[in-house]
Amino acid sequence: MTSERLVLTRSRAWDVARAARRAIPWTRVGIVAGAYLLCVVAFAAFAAWRGANPVTLLPTMLQSSLLQPSALAQTLLRAVPIGFAALAVAVPARAGLVNVGGEGQLIIGAVAATGAGLLVGSHVPGVLGVLLTVAAGALAGGLWAAIGGVLKVAFGAAESVTTLLMNFIANDLMLFLIYQPWKDPNGSGQPQSRPLAGSIRLQPLLGTGVTLAVVLLVAVAIGLWFVIRRTGWGFALRVVGGNPVAAMRNGLPTRRLAISAMGVGGALAGLGGALNLIGVEGQLRPDLTATFGYVGFLACFLGRNDPVRVTLAAILFSAIALSGNGLQISEGLDGSVVNVLLGAIVLTMLSVGRKTAEALT
Amino acid sequence: MSAPNDSRAEPHDTPALEVRDLVKTFGPVRANDGISFTVMPGEVHALLGENGAGKSTLVKSLYGVHRPDSGEILRDGEVRRFDSPSAARRSGIGMVFQDMRLVPALSVWENVALHLESTPWVLRPRQLRRVIAETSERYGLATDPHRTVAHLSIGEWQRVELVKVLLGGLRLLILDEPTSVLTPHEVAGLFAMVRRLTAEGVAVIIITHKLREVRQIADRVTVLRGGRTVLMNASPHELTDAELVTAMVGEPVETLQRTATPVHTSAHAIVRLNDVSMRRPDGDWGLRDLNLEIRPGEVLGVAGVAGSGQDELADLLVGAHEVDDGEVIVDGEAVTLPDPVRMRRAGIVGVAPDPVRQFVVPGMTVAEHTALWNSAGTFAFDVRQADADLRRRDAAAELRVVAGSRRMDRLSGGNVQRALLTLALTSDSRVVVASYPTRGLDVLTTERTRTLLRRLSDAGAAVVLISEDLDEILTLSDRVAVLAVGRLAGIVPGGTADRNSIGELMTGVHAA
Repeated sequence: MTSERLVLTRSRAWDVARAARRAIPWTRVGIVAGAYLLCVVAFAAFAAWRGANPVTLLPTMLQSSLLQPSALAQTLLRAVPIGFAALAVAVPARAGLVNVGGEGQLIIGAVAATGAGLLVGSHVPGVLGVLLTVAAGALAGGLWAAIGGVLKVAFGAAESVTTLLMNFIANDLMLFLIYQPWKDPNGSGQPQSRPLAGSIRLQPLLGTGVTLAVVLLVAVAIGLWFVIRRTGWGFALRVVGGNPVAAMRNGLPTRRLAISAMGVGGALAGLGGALNLIGVEGQLRPDLTATFGYVGFLACFLGRNDPVRVTLAAILFSAIALSGNGLQISEGLDGSVVNVLLGAIVLTMLSVGRKTAEALT
Repeated sequence: MSAPNDSRAEPHDTPALEVRDLVKTFGPVRANDGISFTVMPGEVHALLGENGAGKSTLVKSLYGVHRPDSGEILRDGEVRRFDSPSAARRSGIGMVFQDMRLVPALSVWENVALHLESTPWVLRPRQLRRVIAETSERYGLATDPHRTVAHLSIGEWQRVELVKVLLGGLRLLILDEPTSVLTPHEVAGLFAMVRRLTAEGVAVIIITHKLREVRQIADRVTVLRGGRTVLMNASPHELTDAELVTAMVGEPVETLQRTATPVHTSAHAIVRLNDVSMRRPDGDWGLRDLNLEIRPGEVLGVAGVAGSGQDELADLLVGAHEVDDGEVIVDGEAVTLPDPVRMRRAGIVGVAPDPVRQFVVPGMTVAEHTALWNSAGTFAFDVRQADADLRRRDAAAELRVVAGSRRMDRLSGGNVQRALLTLALTSDSRVVVASYPTRGLDVLTTERTRTLLRRLSDAGAAVVLISEDLDEILTLSDRVAVLAVGRLAGIVPGGTADRNSIGELMTGVHAA
């Protein structure tokens, strides 16, 4: 009797302790925080070796990316293409598809936005012009990515390979346009498109330096979180991603779901490319996307396909990238040195992140 | 060692294995709570018990997978501690796990080489293949060392596992539910091999929950319940089935009696298959010119050697597979497959042959699976309502399904099966296609499942019972369809069917 009761009490205490641990997984939070700290320390050591002052290093980086208002605005603006490219990976990932084509989808979005912008010029009111360019970008990005989905469904071609290869096609397409038909006659021979009319450009909101694009990124991230968790489409994507055979046996249209997941992902990247064009660039030029698509892929990995965390990861990566500018000016380092920090974070999370990050969700 | 002809152990022998008061806990769970039993050389000792009785934990402690908290393990009279399976293997203990541990991409001999401690750094394939062939020959285990494991049937996998174990200098063999995946024919082969081993003085521990097998093969039996020994070193011949079941379950269980109702040929068929043929993904015929009627109020048993087309038939009936030739007629109307939604709307539900591959969605909870089941081809998934629905279904089915918030992919096979059965057997359906419904279930749940199937058929539903357990088919079926290499070898009325006649049909065409 006594021993039985003892077992019972012990099990209850154990349950309570476990419930408490589940509420706030302190160990896991500690592991993740420690991992980030380790990355920063490792990077500081590397930078010190390259001649930087390790004491002023971190303040400089924070100043040039987050603490100064204008720097923060730059960080958020750059987070727009990275964030949308990351969301473009997150949606197909729910359906078990790997979209490596964020880069190309950003480019195609920007190309379509430019085409639409040049076409309407200043003939239509600004708001309509903006809507048209943005819609063109999203549509083009969606169709571009859907090609990968169709190839997958029809021929079983690996979408990770097809979307990657289509990045090069997208880039060559853009280069053709800016060297030939859309070339800016006033560009002193530079390969760039004619600039868009000023009415189509996004203006900073209330003197903050931040455009509507940033607000839209946050809204889309939250909206997607809702779509994936609360709608039938999101649920069905999770089923297809988890077990396509079970999905088929339950009568889900697995092929259409795969194509739609790719399409929606591509539309997000296209939207990001269009917003970056009308918000920041104003015209097409080579290296327009500067590997934002690939950085977005890593951000999606860091955020574990969860729309909100993916967006936060995109802001982090954007901040890291911009902090390189500060190092270049004050420490005399090459700006790209911050890629060491970025790489360290991704590699560390690859090794410690899997279970911990899953538990933090 | 001299081989005694009488496999029964002499009472004065040193036991091959003696377990004293073994305790193993996992957190608050006392999986083994003071277990004792002895195994004599040359005897077959059955460990009997329900799911969760602690049988697997016990043998894993014996094999060095778990370290017991307290208690003693004596091997040939000496107290031993096995810190790893390889330590247990060095002591002559071999184990064949339920989930077989072979590398599918490698060939049979490569898998054996992987397992053997004596494998040199540079492989000597020819010698190893010869040893494998000799061992296979000696124990009647037909295996071809050259074949790739991925292409073997599940019975062949098991034979490779056995060869692996036998080559290691075996004195004590542990078999963890070895028959659950085998056909009657393969079970006979396995038991023949076990007898050959015991004749050489090898001790064998066999885990099972099938009484028939205890009677067939075991010299002594130990029954576990709730982590404790409730019956130790007993002779099965001195116990009735009812006594053994009561020991396992803790209360008497009424087993379903055999009740075949006469076939109402007048009843209108819900599904009619006309000369249906379909290919497997590898291009071979899965079903060939099959003619079958599925009628309301009838349990149609489907028997056959594993891989005779049962799974293709199950897939076909739930609309998950395309038909290469012939007609599928549902309620008088020809349907084009695959179309799971069409079949579901016609009231056909299935207990999937391979739940892990066909039912479990990794990352999703039991309630979410219920929502998916209830959606029936629409995009309406209401998880909260599904959770309440699951409780209602559980109250009706009494299969003790786990909480809706648990993740399905983290449940044991038995709990997944309970969840699947709860959904399938409480849906308002006209046809239930139940593939291996009681595979991996304990006695109580098995009986409950059979009762539910019988009740569904009494209420007017058609039940298609696909099973490798001939007793199950004979107990429940009104008609028994026997498949052999994808063809219908014959249909036997349930009332007159017996193991022999069905067995002949199963293999008759096969041999031809």
